[in-house]
Order: sequence, then structure tokens, then C-alpha cells
Amino acid sequence: MTSISNNQAPRSRRRIDGWRWTGRIFLVLMLMYTALPMIWMLLTSIKSGFAAMQFPPQWWPSEPTLASYQKLLDPQNSVGQDFLRFFWNSLFVSVCTTVLAVFVAVPAAYAFSRFTFPGRQFLFFAVLLRNMFPAVIFLVPLFILMRVLGLVNTHGSLILTYLTFGLPLAIWLLKGFYDNIPIQLEQAARIDGATRFQAFLLIVMPLSVPGIIATAIYSFIGAWNEYIYAATFITKNEQLTLPVGIQRFFSENTTDFPGLMAASFMMSVPVVVLFLLLQRYFVRALTEGAVKH
Amino acid sequence: MNAVTDHAKSSRAGIQSENVLQRMWRQRADYLYVLPAIVVMLVVIAYPVYYTIELSFFKTPPGLQLRDKVFIGVDNYSAILSSEVFWRVTLNTVIWTLASTLIAFVLGFGAALALHRDFFGRGVLRAILIIPWVISAVAASYIWKWIYHSDFGIIGIVLVQLGIVDRPPNFIDSVGTVLPSLIVVNIWREFPFAMIMLMAGLQTVPDQLLRAAQVDGASAWQRFWHVTFPYLSGVSTVTILLLAVANFNSFIIPWIMTGGGPSNASHIWITHIYELAFGRQRWGVAAAYSVLLFIIVMTLGYFYVRALSGNERKENRA
Repeated sequence: MTSISNNQAPRSRRRIDGWRWTGRIFLVLMLMYTALPMIWMLLTSIKSGFAAMQFPPQWWPSEPTLASYQKLLDPQNSVGQDFLRFFWNSLFVSVCTTVLAVFVAVPAAYAFSRFTFPGRQFLFFAVLLRNMFPAVIFLVPLFILMRVLGLVNTHGSLILTYLTFGLPLAIWLLKGFYDNIPIQLEQAARIDGATRFQAFLLIVMPLSVPGIIATAIYSFIGAWNEYIYAATFITKNEQLTLPVGIQRFFSENTTDFPGLMAASFMMSVPVVVLFLLLQRYFVRALTEGAVKH
Repeated sequence: MNAVTDHAKSSRAGIQSENVLQRMWRQRADYLYVLPAIVVMLVVIAYPVYYTIELSFFKTPPGLQLRDKVFIGVDNYSAILSSEVFWRVTLNTVIWTLASTLIAFVLGFGAALALHRDFFGRGVLRAILIIPWVISAVAASYIWKWIYHSDFGIIGIVLVQLGIVDRPPNFIDSVGTVLPSLIVVNIWREFPFAMIMLMAGLQTVPDQLLRAAQVDGASAWQRFWHVTFPYLSGVSTVTILLLAVANFNSFIIPWIMTGGGPSNASHIWITHIYELAFGRQRWGVAAAYSVLLFIIVMTLGYFYVRALSGNERKENRA
């Protein structure tokens, strides 16, 4: 490496190293900012309630215990029953939302990418603008709408709502994918006698699987983490999803920080695992959809 | 400017060949593909927007017995604009939105640049940095609420043990520190988004160009400023706008951590509207607030669309 340096090199090399060191130090600081709160969550969750509230604090719990996790996952006691039910509710709502979002977003994104029907541009931006609306604007009217439809206190109200706020970005991401699939592939299929819909289903769909995965992750995470609609539409304990359920739990046990941290951790596990497994699709979708857009 | 001329050109072309209705009829099958999306959107968006605007002109009884509402014109709006809380909350919202957006963007940008070059453990580091963005804001709020706890919060204890302060500061229970403390949490959750967007953007910067600049003797800073940065201007605009809108609309962190208190010091628009509607049951006033908010968001949205279509034009030209 150094053998190719010209007479200018020593100086500029040192300067590049300066930048590189700045970058390294910056990354270490960001790592601390990001990771320390999460580490503290984990450490607190394996303490007893008494150990969590000591001064000076136990950095590493003197008697680590999984009691908080056992309590949350034990179907015998009431806390465990509630937690498992909330978990199941969240899972059900998120999976339904994800499946529906893919079914609705795929054809829409394809149309926005390929067709030139009048109003296409307008509709596309109208869909995107949905992203800009604050949830609060929709709360009261949607609550009334759900009452009219008889969906209050059902998971249907949440699925329908989550679908709309997940759709815009889903359509946007997928459109970027379709834009990058050469149209010649479909034209070839058409020449071979496929209908337009067959070309879409058999040629384009398989090629857009990474985009669909990214869309699905996004919808799932959005639905799993949603709080404000769930807090408004659902009042029955049996129907609550995790974010609201944990809030209720905490308002009854204000000092059980180990339990709260354990619950926060378990709530984060599914989405974090899902994201880490599939993140390359997501980053790729952003690169192709959002950025090159 | 360009958009206007493009539009004029295309519509003129349309008139010459066939009119819009004919085209719409000829391409009616195309609409089937977007129909499901449009129907869902109409039911869940158009109706609420219309309803909120209507409600903002009425005095409403509590308990959502909305048949008994009384038309009062713009009284709700004048009541809002003349109230002291409104200006307090607006100032909070401006500080919250600007500080969160800019700092999250700068940190995300820095992290994206630092992660661009390959090194051992880059993938793991990137994954860790993204996690706060993935986990639920409710979980994040509770984690930080525990960290900020006035008696057992770890930051306060460390400050005391280092001898910087005598007793743990009240991060989220005192008027002066609550908003900055919440902004730190918000940035914690949001900078990864800026990071992902800009990492994706950095991949579009052509390597040859950077190398050419290096051969020509450009310093690292010059290469960044004159080559990398111009390539990222489109992504940066979109990222900043998306962050700004997300921050302007954020709710969970202030609501869970402080509920807007102490004495409104951490109320931003959304939490305030929520409290007016679902706490104090003043639906009409809350609706009027929402309409004002809506106007602001639409203004931001206009720039967002312009930034997006600007990118598209650039690409078409290229």
C-alpha cells in the first residue's frame, strides 16, 4: 500500500487517518449511546425488585434471577395469563395486517410502476401523503366509524387501521422494486401468449420477493409497536395488544422495574429477531425504492 | 417550474389525441390494481378528514353524544389562538421537532459515513445501531424512564458518584430539563432511520468519481463536500422531511414518559390534542386543533412531494 505513495502521500495519509480515527471514536460513542440503555434494561430485568432499588446500585446483580421472566411466562398466575394473552393478540393483529398489506400493496405498487392511467401521479402522491397525517386527526372519527361498523373492542378495528398507515410506505418501497425489474421480461411473456395478469403473477411476482419481504417486515414492525389506536379502540382487557397491555401493567405495579424491563425486553424480541434476520432485504429495498426513487 | 410545464405539455398532448375520460375508460382495467388500496384509503382517510373539519365548527357535549352538537362557527379556533397554553405547546413542538430532526440527522449521517468503509465487525455494529429504531417506542419510553428515575436512575447515580452533583437531578420531573431529556430519547430511537437512509444513499455515490478526486489531490473533506454530499442531497432532503413529519406527529414518548407534564413543559401538539379529546372530552376544540395541525402538515407535505418529484425528474433526465 505505502509503496505506491508519491511525494504528497505522507501528509494526506495522516489526514485520512485523522478522519478515520474521528469515525472510530464517533462509532464507539454511538455504540455506547445505543447499547448501554439496552444493556441496563437486561441487567435490571434479572434483578430482584429489592436489588434494583439499591444505592449504590449493583452494576452486576449479586443474585441474578429469572423470576421476572418466569412470572410473565407462567400461565398459572394472572400476570402470566395477561402477558401471554397480550402477546398472542399482538401476534394475531400483526400477522393479519402484514398479510393483508402485502395483498393490497403489491398490485397497487405494480400499477403505479407500470401503467400510465390518468391520475396515476395524483393517486400516488395522495397515497404517500397519508404518511404525513398525524394519528390524532383520525382518532375521533375512526373511533366513531368503528362504532358504526361494530368493530370497537375487536382486532378488526386495529387491522383495518394499521393497514392504512402501513400501506403508503409499502407501496412506495415496492414501486421502487418494480421500477427496477426490466419491462422486457413481461413483454417477452406477453409475446409468448401470457395475459398481462399472468405476466404479473408468474414473471414479476417471483422477482419481487425481496421487496415483498421488506414490505412485510415493515408492516409487521409497525403493527407490533403501534400504541395510540390500540389504546383508543380497545378497552377490554382480553383484546389488548402488548404496548397498551404493558402500560396497564405498569400503572398497577409502579415499582416493579425488573418486571417492566423483562416485559419490555420480551416485547422487543420478536421484532428485533425478525429484523436482524431479514435486514438485508430491508436495506436493499430502501436503496432501490426510497433512495434511487 | 418544470413540473408546471411538464404538466401543461402532457395535458395538451392528451387533448389532441383523446380526452381524459376516454383515456380513463380505455385504461379502466388499470384501476383495478389500485382499487383495493384506494378504497381502504378513502374509508379510513377521506372520511376522518372530512369529519374532523366538520366537528371543528361545533360545540360538543362530553361523552361523544355527537347528535347534540351545536354549531358555533370559528369560536373553537379563536379560543385556541388566544389561549396561553397554545403558545407554550407550540414553542415546545417547534423545539422538539427541530432539535430531534437535526440532531438525529447529523448523528445518522455521521454513523452512515463511519460505517461506509468495510472493517471487521461492521455488520454487527450496524445491526446493534439499528435496534433502537426497531423496538417499540413504548418499550423505549420505559427503558429511559427507568434510566431517568429520580431516585434509582442510573444517570443520576453515576453523576452523584462522580461527584458532579450532590443529589440525582430530576430529569423528567422538572420544567427546565424535561424537554431536552425527552429529545435525547427520541433521537435514540430515530437516528438509525437517518443512518439506514444515508447508508443506502452512499451506495449510489460512484466510486470512480471519489477515486478520480483523490488522484487529483482532493483532501478527504473536499471529496466529501464536493463529491459525496451533492450526491446525497436528494436522500437528505427526503430523510429530513420524513424525520420532521415523524417528530411533529410523535406521541408515544412524551405521553408515556411524562404525559405532557410537569405543568405542560413537555406537551407537544399531539399529546395536547389527545388530552383535550380523550382526557377532557372537548372534542370540538381538539378537532379545531387537528385542523390547524393538518394545515401545517400539508404545507410540509407539499415540500415533501416537491422533493420527491424533484428526485424523479433528476433521474429521468439522467
